[in-house]
Amino acid sequence: MTLQECYARLEGDYAAVSGRLPSEKFIQKYVLKFAEDKTMELLEESFRDGSFDEAFRAAHTIKGMCQNLSFTRLEKSSSDLTEALRGGKSPGAEELLLKVREDYALTADTIKEYKAGL
Amino acid sequence: MDGKKRRQKILIVDDSEMNRSILVDMLGEDYDTIEVENGLMAVNELQKRAGEISLMMLDIVMPLMDGLEVLEVMNRRRWIETVPVIMISAETTSDRISQALGMGVTDFISRPFDAKIVQRRVLNTLLSSAKQAELENLVAEQIYEKEQNSLLMIDILSHIVEFRNGESGLHVVHVRRLTEVLLEQLASKRPDYELTAGKIALISEASALHDIGKIAIDEKILNKPGRLTNEEFQIMKQHSSIGAQMLDGLSVHQGEPLVRIAYQICRWHHERWDGRGYPDGLSGDEIPIAAQVVAMADVYDALTSERVYKSAFSHEKAIEMICNNECGSFNPVLLECLMEVSETLQEELRSPEVRESAGESISSMVEKMSHHSELSASNRTLQLLEHERMKYSFFAAMSKEIQFEYTVSPSMVSLNAWGARNLGLDEVVMDPLENRKVRGYLSDELMGQLHSVLMSATPEEPIVTLEGKMERDGVKKWYRFVMQALWSEDEPPEIRGAIGKAVDIHSSRSYLENLERRASMDQLTGLLNLTSARSQAEARLKENPEAKYALAFFDCDYFKDANNTYGHLFGNRLLVHIAERLRQVTRSGDIVSRAGGDEYIIFIQYHQELEPTIQRIYGALHGEDFGGFTISISMGIATTGQVGPDFTELMAAADRALYAVKQAGKGRYKFFEGNETSLVKSRGESVYTNQSEIIDFTPEEQNKGGTEE
Repeated sequence: MTLQECYARLEGDYAAVSGRLPSEKFIQKYVLKFAEDKTMELLEESFRDGSFDEAFRAAHTIKGMCQNLSFTRLEKSSSDLTEALRGGKSPGAEELLLKVREDYALTADTIKEYKAGL
Repeated sequence: MDGKKRRQKILIVDDSEMNRSILVDMLGEDYDTIEVENGLMAVNELQKRAGEISLMMLDIVMPLMDGLEVLEVMNRRRWIETVPVIMISAETTSDRISQALGMGVTDFISRPFDAKIVQRRVLNTLLSSAKQAELENLVAEQIYEKEQNSLLMIDILSHIVEFRNGESGLHVVHVRRLTEVLLEQLASKRPDYELTAGKIALISEASALHDIGKIAIDEKILNKPGRLTNEEFQIMKQHSSIGAQMLDGLSVHQGEPLVRIAYQICRWHHERWDGRGYPDGLSGDEIPIAAQVVAMADVYDALTSERVYKSAFSHEKAIEMICNNECGSFNPVLLECLMEVSETLQEELRSPEVRESAGESISSMVEKMSHHSELSASNRTLQLLEHERMKYSFFAAMSKEIQFEYTVSPSMVSLNAWGARNLGLDEVVMDPLENRKVRGYLSDELMGQLHSVLMSATPEEPIVTLEGKMERDGVKKWYRFVMQALWSEDEPPEIRGAIGKAVDIHSSRSYLENLERRASMDQLTGLLNLTSARSQAEARLKENPEAKYALAFFDCDYFKDANNTYGHLFGNRLLVHIAERLRQVTRSGDIVSRAGGDEYIIFIQYHQELEPTIQRIYGALHGEDFGGFTISISMGIATTGQVGPDFTELMAAADRALYAVKQAGKGRYKFFEGNETSLVKSRGESVYTNQSEIIDFTPEEQNKGGTEE
């Protein structure tokens, strides 16, 4: 799988990211790094424990990373979740978390597959 | 360029490791980076090395302390003035962004990061930051080094600086300010000149370049004391067109408004309204308004300044000469403006703001120019500029201060306008030492101090400082005097006077004194703490070792129980209450201290009998009901008659007596007798000397105290 194909699978915007970041190698480095990032676990944990303040920050962090990597799909859902957690939990947050979980899994799995093929 | 490369430090504050890492990758090649993951660590880092950090990149949403809180701290501690901040948050809510901008954030980079944008913004922010003076060298080296193919404005400026050293250093500054004042006056009169605030600023800035063409003129002609010959004058006259040519040669900057206006000023600032000026013989409004105004400013300042070939004319004389067309003819409406600003002009030029704004103008020019990455600059050039800048900022920083110049012979003090106003003195005071008003401010003592500190100056260390109290409105206020001695050219050199300033430091000094006082006090009760009680008592013992002193050491029985039963707040109130009682029953000369916990000491001088005094004090404290808790006091007392004039011994003896009271059932007072058990073990303190050393024990008639009502 090429990096471009990887982006297509996880529904990111490769054209956008390659316009911004200096090189393919640079992008690749951070894409691989993303799969090792622990913020998603933090999000799940803090959500489960009812620390929504922390959950907000975690969602916010994921959103920020996705923005930087142009992971459009996960960016959208994590951004929605961020807003649903801003200043406390709003009613739709559980559902949005499900969506983030699903998109995150797609993203992380795709990256792992991509990595395996390197 | 010199070899040592100090790289600028960028502090990256973001809770996401990945985001930090991306930024480091983007910036690490050109800058040193420090990463921290929350606001608290950022503040720590700033605390440790605010001076070294050239730029901070700050996220908003972070654990422990968020970005806005960091900004708050930076504002409070004024770090924001020296450390520019770029926000890098994924935050898109506009109110948070505007909140951040309101708190002094310089720029905002939104996610996703674009490598080129990040690098560009960082560079821009560094260039325009308040630390620019310090950074210029660094930045210039980092970015300009590679591109050395074009002529540079900075080089030109530096030549002016070089050329203008000494004699006409202030000329550029004056011309700038005059230009500005005249333009402001003109703007309202003649809307057709379209003098917006921006244009006025631009023309004033560009005015600094009016004489750059003189670089090409032989120094012998430039600095010739007498009249120029006709031939020399023809050469001199070339400076205006040469200056214009120099600017014309700046192929890369032709579009730049600053350069365009500077060109007009250089070429045509010797044109005259009637067409009789040079080099082109333009007349009327053929001459660009920028050049017309600078021409007038140039003439005015030349007239009122001393030059190698002439002495200075007075302000009035200069105005008169200009209005009579003695220096060529000017636009009538400009003459009108000159007349209108005439009265304030003199003061304008002498105010520190003039110098300050001059500093600004140079820095803003440099800033403007440094946006052109095509520029390259030699280190020397930048050093020169920086030198000028330092000079200006020194003057700027001196505003709101009393600045003075003192000469011994003739005996005279000149003050800056602000200082004279502040002191209610004339700007020039002859024979200041004989002047009643001056002597009202400076006591004989302060005069003596100033004199001796000035005489201690050496050519190696010419700057001396002194803090002293100056009489202001009947109150003595702290001032800091900073002076640079002036020497004669004799061998050996003699001090001929000084330039300096006096700064009001009263509030900071009072603050310090207040702090000292606070440090000597027990925070809870406002009594002295043990350390200061000891030093005060020791001072008295030393001063008068023969006098009779007693030390009473007591504590509040069952205090722990009170604390446990009624709570700590109650305990604190009880301690405060006892302190208040003590203040009531002791004399102002007694030393009363909370030694720690629920222990207090009283150090008193007595003359005849001690017992009644102790009884009175003890009675006032012991047995009172305080919110349901009956205060019980155990007290031990020792006297210098018993242990000698030594505070440690007094404490030890009183403590032993107190301990004996405690052993015997509390709630009494007892004088030290010498047969009490040693307490070293029981109290775990080793302030006590060997018991056998306590000699000359004089028993009072009441050996076992104990007066309960």
